[in-house]
Amino acid sequence: MVSSNTFHVVATELVVGAYSLAGIAFVFCLVCPWLPTSLKEKRSAGDAVAHSALMFGIIATPFAIWSGLSSAPSGDMGSPLLANKMLLSMSGLGLALGALVGRWRIGAAVWETKRSSIIQACSGAGATGLMLLTASAGGKFSRGESLLDWLHLPYNEVMLMPTYLSVILLLLGLTCTVIGFRPTD
Amino acid sequence: MFQLRVKVLLLLLVLLGSTTFGAAEPGGNGDGLRDMQCGGACHGDAGQNATSSLSLSIETPEHVWAGQPTEVTIVVAGVDVSHDEDLVGLFLLSSTNANGDTPLSNGWEILSDGSGGTGNYVERSTDGSGASLQHTWILRADAIGERTLFASVHHGDATGSSQGRPFFGISEAFVINIEPVPEDLPRLHEDFVPPSMREVGEVTLVELQTKFTETVAVEWQTEDGVTLEASVNASGEQVWEFTLPATLKPSSLQWRATFTGQGPEQTTPWFTLAAQVTPAEVDDRPIYIQGLAMGLLLFGAVVALQKPRTNSEDLLKTFDQTVEIQTIQAADSVVESTSDAPAPLPEGGLPPGWTEEQWAWYGHEYLAGTYGGGQ
Repeated sequence: MVSSNTFHVVATELVVGAYSLAGIAFVFCLVCPWLPTSLKEKRSAGDAVAHSALMFGIIATPFAIWSGLSSAPSGDMGSPLLANKMLLSMSGLGLALGALVGRWRIGAAVWETKRSSIIQACSGAGATGLMLLTASAGGKFSRGESLLDWLHLPYNEVMLMPTYLSVILLLLGLTCTVIGFRPTD
Repeated sequence: MFQLRVKVLLLLLVLLGSTTFGAAEPGGNGDGLRDMQCGGACHGDAGQNATSSLSLSIETPEHVWAGQPTEVTIVVAGVDVSHDEDLVGLFLLSSTNANGDTPLSNGWEILSDGSGGTGNYVERSTDGSGASLQHTWILRADAIGERTLFASVHHGDATGSSQGRPFFGISEAFVINIEPVPEDLPRLHEDFVPPSMREVGEVTLVELQTKFTETVAVEWQTEDGVTLEASVNASGEQVWEFTLPATLKPSSLQWRATFTGQGPEQTTPWFTLAAQVTPAEVDDRPIYIQGLAMGLLLFGAVVALQKPRTNSEDLLKTFDQTVEIQTIQAADSVVESTSDAPAPLPEGGLPPGWTEEQWAWYGHEYLAGTYGGGQ
């Protein structure tokens, strides 16, 4: 039987690896127009890599979150680091899902206009950044150090909103989603 | 293309080559009760670890009596001499089996690990320790006889050729002879368990159970070494009470008792009582709701911004019917050009009563049988 800790390590390695690859590919797709012609032609490959890796990361993320909660020493949000991990990973998951759905609806044409390219790349790369921050917080929690220590991030402070504000944000997110999916006249 | 791939490959090789072998858990793993192999990740792995140059020894009192607390001190010599270590993990072990090797497996009870816990593994910073570092456990043996103890150390090395390697060291075996307690020795009762942890701001009432004791004196000292005496009151037959003051911040104090009676005077080891702030119970729901809200908000924002739009060119294409109109016009022109030409005359010439002008206008209808309503 694999313990939650071991399963969490495996799941987070998959998530971090997939998101890192996706992040690099998204940045590549964004800067493609300014690259030499030989590299410009690789945009479709970059697009495929970015979204495939992102999809894999999205599939692995819930397992990482679930196993992380199970392997927490107290089994709950006893540490501000764990609370920050939850907020960061959920935000990253939201951005990643948004990027993937956007690509699915618009298709490869998502890279054809400057506006949609920037939104797509920022969503994908932003999701990567949030997931790497989550992993960094995990390293800080389990080993007392992380690669991002030089940034002196306030992992021990949780920006916890009042519940009513969270509910308002939840409704706002729901409204945005409905508007986003409403067919254009 | 080939050159580009070679360049990328070289870049990856340089990046890989510039990495160093990092220590597994340089920030430590926390105090606890652990077997030697499980205590510190790769430190116990013979395939990865390196041998520590630190010198380890164990010190115990002259007499160790069964059922009585006794100090067991690990002395680490050579700190910061051969290695540049900031943190050392110290194990008190009963064997080198690497499994089931804690003192608990060999008839010992750990009353205090000197850091507020009751484990066999503690982590100590080497800052300000000088070349020698000591750490003391309070153990209690359950029966007489010879018992073996080992000291083990795990640490890293921040500089030099061994930078980042997981180091491992273990002492020779130290045999401790557990003696029977003299009959009339004033002493602690075998069931007494000293408190090891409390909350910050909490006053601690300690109840001592003793044997063959007529008077008890208790002294306690703070971390800065100030020693004070506590007031001890008898609360029953061989039961004594005293109070240890609260601390204002997470810290520890030590206390010991001196017993007098018929037999020789006895003093207990220094017991450590640590104070901590236990985190308050956290309600998880607001965190989950906020996490969900943030995720959904970002998802909705991206979906709304990346909505498929029909641009002006597409709109132009939608309403541009030039091609269809041209096709219709072309078809009309064919029809018109066809109908402009007079219909070919039948074999017998003009039908009876028809003029050439009539044939030019209505000849097609005549041939089609529709002239005059088809009659």
